[in-house]
Amino acid sequence: MVGMNQTSVPRWAWDETAPGAAPDPRGRTFTLLVLPGAAAVADRWAEAVAGRAVRRHEAADVPTAVAALHADLATARVGHRVLVAGTARECLAVRAAGVRAGLADDEMTFGVVSTADRAVWCVHCDATTVAPVAIDDVVACTGCARSLLVYPHVSRRTGEHLGFMVDAEQPGTAAEQPGTAGVAA
Amino acid sequence: MSARLDLVVTSVDDAVPGIRSVTLAAPDGAALPPYTPGSHLVVDVPVGGGRTRKAANAYSLTGESVHPTSYAISVLRCATTAEGGTGAGGSAWVHGLAVGDRLTATPPRSAFAPVHVATRHLLVGAGIGITPLLSHLRSHVRWGRDAELVYVFRDGHGAHVDELKELGGDRVTFLHDRAGLAEHLAVRLAEQPLGTHLYTCGPAGFMDAVVATATDLGWPASRVHLEPFGVAALDPGEPFTVGVAGRVLEVPSGTSLLEALEDGGLSVPNLCRQGVCGECRVEVAPGSGPVLHRDLYLDDATRASGSCLMACVSRALPAADGRAHLEVTL
Repeated sequence: MVGMNQTSVPRWAWDETAPGAAPDPRGRTFTLLVLPGAAAVADRWAEAVAGRAVRRHEAADVPTAVAALHADLATARVGHRVLVAGTARECLAVRAAGVRAGLADDEMTFGVVSTADRAVWCVHCDATTVAPVAIDDVVACTGCARSLLVYPHVSRRTGEHLGFMVDAEQPGTAAEQPGTAGVAA
Repeated sequence: MSARLDLVVTSVDDAVPGIRSVTLAAPDGAALPPYTPGSHLVVDVPVGGGRTRKAANAYSLTGESVHPTSYAISVLRCATTAEGGTGAGGSAWVHGLAVGDRLTATPPRSAFAPVHVATRHLLVGAGIGITPLLSHLRSHVRWGRDAELVYVFRDGHGAHVDELKELGGDRVTFLHDRAGLAEHLAVRLAEQPLGTHLYTCGPAGFMDAVVATATDLGWPASRVHLEPFGVAALDPGEPFTVGVAGRVLEVPSGTSLLEALEDGGLSVPNLCRQGVCGECRVEVAPGSGPVLHRDLYLDDATRASGSCLMACVSRALPAADGRAHLEVTL
């Protein structure tokens, strides 16, 4: 198995003992996206960048946070930083939106309050399963019910983990998978 | 050593004082390898004309990068040490070339490519440092990318000024003094839409100033790209000794570790000989004293690991006992 430090999964997305990140003090302006349950992290950051131009958005969910991010980025100048406080799954999803919008890794900071939930993308049926599951564990796909191994790879473009059938090499198992009719076509 | 191209000088242009533009082609006129905008050739400079060692100088390509049938370089003549300057004589040699002369060079190498995910490109050059940026601008105009160029040069001594104006139109700004540059940069660097990348090339002091202004305005390192050239002359350094392959060699002040190894009959791959290209990396062996890193190639983590150094510019630092000694393996 690959070492976690050699994977595409950032440490903050799997290691809750990782040291907390701090806003880049060189940033000129900031967007602060606060997802539910992460106000304490956000308050700490807000204090660290007090006096700067900070736009704080309390977002109920990822789509709301991404919409606020897009609105801010539309007029942002180089020198802007994006701070995201939420669960690892939410942070990975918002990071994906940031990456797609052209943000660089050194322009984004993540404050993670929980690493329990993951989004797992099924390579077989294209469905995304959100579940409390650890990397290298197995989760049932909500699209095709295959048993998916949660591989230690996260897509920068979607924020989802790579999931593939864990028992694909056992004879006969594929035919027994429910809900696969037409998938291979 | 890497493969070399045989080239012939097809034209020289000395219209700008101190700067010579040279066009090179394959002897049979065949197409040359295409290159990424911002690439350079490493031209072999032979011994002679006061040069006791052969050298290899990097010159940015200014011409068309797609399906080229010629390579164009522009070279500022630096005063040689014999003339009271700091140049090793490579640029003086280029200024002595005539149409029909033959030379060898590496195929184009890229260390300063445009970032293709950038939504906008801000190019800031000074003096002869305009050369790789001209190549960038040419590519951006061709592909319709958003670009802006700021060029600072001593009035009357600008290279490719007409060409830049024709290519870039009102996206190009010419400046002639430091105060004007500082003022202009403070405004332009503050106003770039997120997604812009900054590229700068020029004398070390100029690039330091550009980077300092950008950093003050919050530019992250990933958006700032430098093409070091005209590396500031390094001091000759203190003498030290080097242990290699069971021998101990003296490295006097004014002689580089690379030169000392070569003088000792040892062969070390090398290209630029000024701490930029990364070819002459040698491994540090157990028992070595501390290293004075003077290159522009190694990152901080590698330097801190103490595992290697660039033989062309880096030297030994005295250890606690005052002895300056390196142990290396080739």
